[in-house]
Amino acid sequence: MSVIEQQANNDDIIVIKDLNKWYGNFHVLKDINLNVRKGERIVICGPSGSGKSTMIRCINRLEEFQKGSLVVNGVEMIDDVKNIEAIRKEVGMVFQHFNLFPHLTILENLTLGPIWVQKKPKDEAEATAMKYLERVKIPDQALKFPGQLSGGQQQRVAIARSLCMAPEIMLFDEPTSALDPEMIKEVLDVMIELAEEEGMTMLCVTHEMNFAKTVAHRVIFMDGGEIVEENTPNEFFENPETDRLQLFLSQIL
Amino acid sequence: MREFKPLPAQPAPVKTQGAVAWLRDNLFYSPVSSIVTLFFAYFFIKYSIAMFDWALLSADWTGTTEKDCTSEGACWVFIKAWSQQFFYGSYIESEIWRINLSILLLLAVIVMSFTLPKNIRLKVTIPAFLLLPFICIAILDGRILGLTHVKTDLWGGFSLNVLMAAASIIVAFPFSFLWSLGRRSDMAFIRSVSIIFIEFFRGVPVLSLFFMGSVMLPLFFAEGTNVDKLIRVWIVLIFFMSGYMAEVFRGGFQAIPRGQYEAADSLGLGYWQKILLILLPQVIKVSMPNILATFVMLFKNTTFLLIIGIPELVQTLQTALSNSYWLGGHTLEGYLFVFAVFWASCFSMSLLSSHIERKLDTDNRN
Ligand SMILES: Nc1ncnc2c1ncn2[C@@H]1O[C@H](COP(=O)(O)OP(=O)(O)OP(=O)(O)O)[C@@H](O)[C@H]1O
Ligand SMILES: [Mg+2]
Repeated sequence: MSVIEQQANNDDIIVIKDLNKWYGNFHVLKDINLNVRKGERIVICGPSGSGKSTMIRCINRLEEFQKGSLVVNGVEMIDDVKNIEAIRKEVGMVFQHFNLFPHLTILENLTLGPIWVQKKPKDEAEATAMKYLERVKIPDQALKFPGQLSGGQQQRVAIARSLCMAPEIMLFDEPTSALDPEMIKEVLDVMIELAEEEGMTMLCVTHEMNFAKTVAHRVIFMDGGEIVEENTPNEFFENPETDRLQLFLSQIL
Repeated sequence: MREFKPLPAQPAPVKTQGAVAWLRDNLFYSPVSSIVTLFFAYFFIKYSIAMFDWALLSADWTGTTEKDCTSEGACWVFIKAWSQQFFYGSYIESEIWRINLSILLLLAVIVMSFTLPKNIRLKVTIPAFLLLPFICIAILDGRILGLTHVKTDLWGGFSLNVLMAAASIIVAFPFSFLWSLGRRSDMAFIRSVSIIFIEFFRGVPVLSLFFMGSVMLPLFFAEGTNVDKLIRVWIVLIFFMSGYMAEVFRGGFQAIPRGQYEAADSLGLGYWQKILLILLPQVIKVSMPNILATFVMLFKNTTFLLIIGIPELVQTLQTALSNSYWLGGHTLEGYLFVFAVFWASCFSMSLLSSHIERKLDTDNRN
């Protein structure tokens, strides 16, 4: 395993160093530096187009970057398929639009990864799937298809689908912003429970500031492709340092 | 506190316009429109009556030979006398059940693809479809199954049109899927080869392909081997079809939201797992109406087989028309019959296709 570089003297689970990304000539991420400790929960916010999604999508290589380095759980993100596979194994992702597989039942959505990627036997995968469906409080929907579920239910299934892969890190990209107000709470509750009981490393792009205050260890503010400010939730909301963040907070709170 | 009481639901209002109102609004809304309407109505009725009389009232229905056609009207006896040839070609009469069996199997698989429970549907019907052409060939040829050997020279008639079209599209299916993947590939070489292939077979008339098939394909086979004419035609049709269907699938791929790829990637699925488990089922589903439309086109194109002397339905009709016992000149009856047979088949396929489209519509609604 020579290609997989071990970072021995670093116990941070994600290490992003001087990361830069361009879309053509458009400089979308500028000198991003971010270290995430194991078990740390980070909320990322910022105006639309500031590069929040792009940054967290670099972590499981839904996006490639041109400069800088990114190490996840000791594995460096390079072009080698082995490294990409190893990193994706550790990183689960929940999307704004759920992205469930519409042709598979809820149960099949949940067991697909464990069966085909982790090569688990079917009954074991199904048992795990049912466990997590119970976790997100919809075990009775197992045999339905995604189209038959409400948005909030679909998002909880999507969370359960990621959990079934037993990842070290969970990425959330605006998990509640496609939901009706009454469904937002049921999804946030699941995420809060997850944060408090599993102690999972979480990076969450969201504008739900109450969620940030409740669960985050650190809140990050991005603008124009840069990390402008980061702080504990208390300081972040009470004493914003930059005028840019003050303006942003005054707009969303 | 005031209690909230929902209003009772009421039935939707019924449209009050009657037939007379409809006629006035659509056909007689001005003096000119009335004249045009009457003018066309006159000719339509006049010729319909003549046609009706010729085709039904004064037609000959009973008998077996030319001499039984004595009236002014159509000689349906001609069609009746040749009907076996029209449907089964010169296939050995006692073995015709084998053709019927093949067609039944085809229908059975089609019905299965609509009625099986959703969770096993693709898993059962895809292999069934892919095996079907080879099973049918085994049944029709007979040698492998220990039945009487029926040479392919004797295969013919409408059943040949149907089975040839079905066998071609089925085998073309996996190929076209690969071509469409190739066309989307990141690798420049694979992409260019796919584009050249697809555009070649889409850009060349199927007739010239048939000629090339009979003349050029033998050059690719080892010397001395005499590959059956029907097999050569089959290969040509498969290539032709896979060019067209590759484009159908490409459209299907484009219809799949990017989120599906991303979800598959983030789960760590490999390339082929992503293609086969996530994309293929969805692509087939959204492409179904286009696949059927392409099939209808291919099905009609099978009549071109007559150009290279394969006795499909139209070729059989021409043989019948030039038969010395039937010199009554039944061209009109013959072509009307062919017209009716093809129209009925194609129309039922388009009904099927619109049924599927409606079903897709409801399936996709969340
Ligand atoms: N595929 C792409 N090609 C070109 N530009 C892109 C592409 N994807 C995103 N961008 C641009 O990159 C910038 C950052 O996009 P990103 O999606 O990361 O923003 P975001 O912070 O997540 O915004 P939002 O809150 O709206 O989701 C935006 O200006 C966007 O227009
Ligand atoms: Mg975003």
